[in-house]
Amino acid sequence: MNREEAIGGIVIFLFGVVTTFFSLKMPLGTFRMAGTGLFPLCLGVLLIVLSSLFLIKLYLQKKEGKHVITVQLPSSIKQLMLFLGAMLLATLFFNRLGYPLVAFLLMVSLLKILGMKRWRTVLPLSFITAIVCYFLFVQWLKIPLPRGWIGL
Amino acid sequence: MFESLQHLMTGFGIATTIHNLLYCLTGAIVGTLIGVLPGIGPIAGIALLIPATFGLNPTSAIIMLAGIYYGAMYGGSTTSILLNVPGETASVITCIDGYQMAQKGRAGPALATCAIGSFIAGTIGIFGLVFIAPPLAEAALAFGPPEYFSLMVFGFIVLSNVTGISLIKSLMMAVVGLIIGTIGLDPVTGDARFTFGSIYLLGGIEFVAVAIGLFGIGEVLINVEKPADLLEQRVLIPRLRELYPTLRDLKRSIGPILRGAGIGFGVGLVPGPAPVIATYSSYMIERKISKNPEEFGKGAIEGVAGPESANNSACQSAFIPLFVLGIPFAPPTAILLGALLIHGVSPGPLMISQHPELFWGVIASMYIGNFILLILNLPFVPLFANILRTPKKILLPLIILFCITGMFTVNNSVFDIWMMLLFGGVGFLMRKWAYEGAPLLLALVLGPKLEVAFRQSLMISHGDFGVFVNRPISMAFLLATAIFLIFPAIRLMFKKSKKGGI
Repeated sequence: MNREEAIGGIVIFLFGVVTTFFSLKMPLGTFRMAGTGLFPLCLGVLLIVLSSLFLIKLYLQKKEGKHVITVQLPSSIKQLMLFLGAMLLATLFFNRLGYPLVAFLLMVSLLKILGMKRWRTVLPLSFITAIVCYFLFVQWLKIPLPRGWIGL
Repeated sequence: MFESLQHLMTGFGIATTIHNLLYCLTGAIVGTLIGVLPGIGPIAGIALLIPATFGLNPTSAIIMLAGIYYGAMYGGSTTSILLNVPGETASVITCIDGYQMAQKGRAGPALATCAIGSFIAGTIGIFGLVFIAPPLAEAALAFGPPEYFSLMVFGFIVLSNVTGISLIKSLMMAVVGLIIGTIGLDPVTGDARFTFGSIYLLGGIEFVAVAIGLFGIGEVLINVEKPADLLEQRVLIPRLRELYPTLRDLKRSIGPILRGAGIGFGVGLVPGPAPVIATYSSYMIERKISKNPEEFGKGAIEGVAGPESANNSACQSAFIPLFVLGIPFAPPTAILLGALLIHGVSPGPLMISQHPELFWGVIASMYIGNFILLILNLPFVPLFANILRTPKKILLPLIILFCITGMFTVNNSVFDIWMMLLFGGVGFLMRKWAYEGAPLLLALVLGPKLEVAFRQSLMISHGDFGVFVNRPISMAFLLATAIFLIFPAIRLMFKKSKKGGI
């Protein structure tokens, strides 16, 4: 059994179980007058059935010695994690720091994470991007983006 | 027919106002750029641009968003031919012969054939739309909740069957999408479901967050973990005077273009990623009927003309189920449905009579858009090709910044950005584990409609499930669904029996 595929199947199976569990806590009604929980309950059960079939199929393929998909492990987990971290931090401080500053800092960090080494390229590029975005979205399109403590 | 032409003329009047022409041009240019740049497809592109249309009237908004969709089809061929990297999935087939033509110094004729073929096919597609949509809308007035329910089930099954490598995986994704669609207020009783006390979840999961997350952020994350040398390849940029195809090229292309237009139009009417299936079918047919099939894969112009025409024609006809039935059969039109709903327009059989200016205006704008793209694509090919030189390490941060900005502007909510990032992570894992995002997105958009149709049908029938099979149209859709479900199993059995030597 392909480990990653099996994990995916189990995650979906659990999602089906959770959906079914919470659906049962809602009023189900009858088929004539369906309650709030009936439709999600049907979907949850259907997902459990489908994911079970999928896991059984994977198990049988393992028994036959078949490998359907080769899943490659990330070649740069560190880069991916740093990239994700930068996005999460930008979202976390989006309101507090304000849009132009977040745009600048996000660009700086993402460019550095992706291997752009020279600060004299990274800083002007990030600054110009932040300025262009600020004028495009805030000044021209009048979108009320967070001003943050810099007040722009 | 005469009435349709009259309406189309009115549509041209609407589409040729300065404002709408500008939005059509903007959509076409943005769409071409999206098509040119690998890493962001038409789904994420349209989703990102929806917030920019909030200040517009629905007609101008849909003119611009539709322009992005068919513009991306034009742009996608540029990267396929010059770089052997498809800008979007519908251009994968074009890589085969397009890149070979470029290697032989014939990138110009290949690009020109794409543009001319796309224009001709787009035109045929639009005229098909003009003449088929109104009678189909009248027929669709006979549809009740059971028919809509069966049609949507049919759509999910067909889409799941033709996307990805595993039917069961695609079906799981469709069910996950339907479950996510139940989050928020119950559409019938108004009770909260799966909100866990959060006021942000009362309105449901924002579909734009799911679309940008799955198709934008997910794609970027996949790129981030790969070596960054994909875009740093040598780009073959043809000169303007090298662009024009010879008379022989045109003679060889006209048949594939017309056949591609027909195939694309038919495929666009049925559920599934129409442009992808249309290009594949067109390529296979051209190779089969060609007098020189051995040329395919080595730079046959028919292998470029047919598929590129098919994908544009499919794009146009994909609007028919969206506008006439209110049911999108492909993810980009699902996003357009979301955009229509945001603008207070509910597509369906009554749309043509209730919003004629929107329906006919958008159709006329497609024709104008196709013409703009023909003009844009030939002389500006060197410019678009130069854009391909943008290093990935600059492009990816820019896409992320636009995704975050675009997401915030939908509801001015940071919660939506969190949702987008969450679905970005989900999209990344789905790509790693070979799950398709299209069934999930389509199910999310159609989920509430499906649930309402299901519950209304059972109310009408007093809880009797026979309502779905006692009505002929509904039964026909369910029969077709059953055939699509059984077909892969039969095919598998045949394969096994062949292997067994029977």
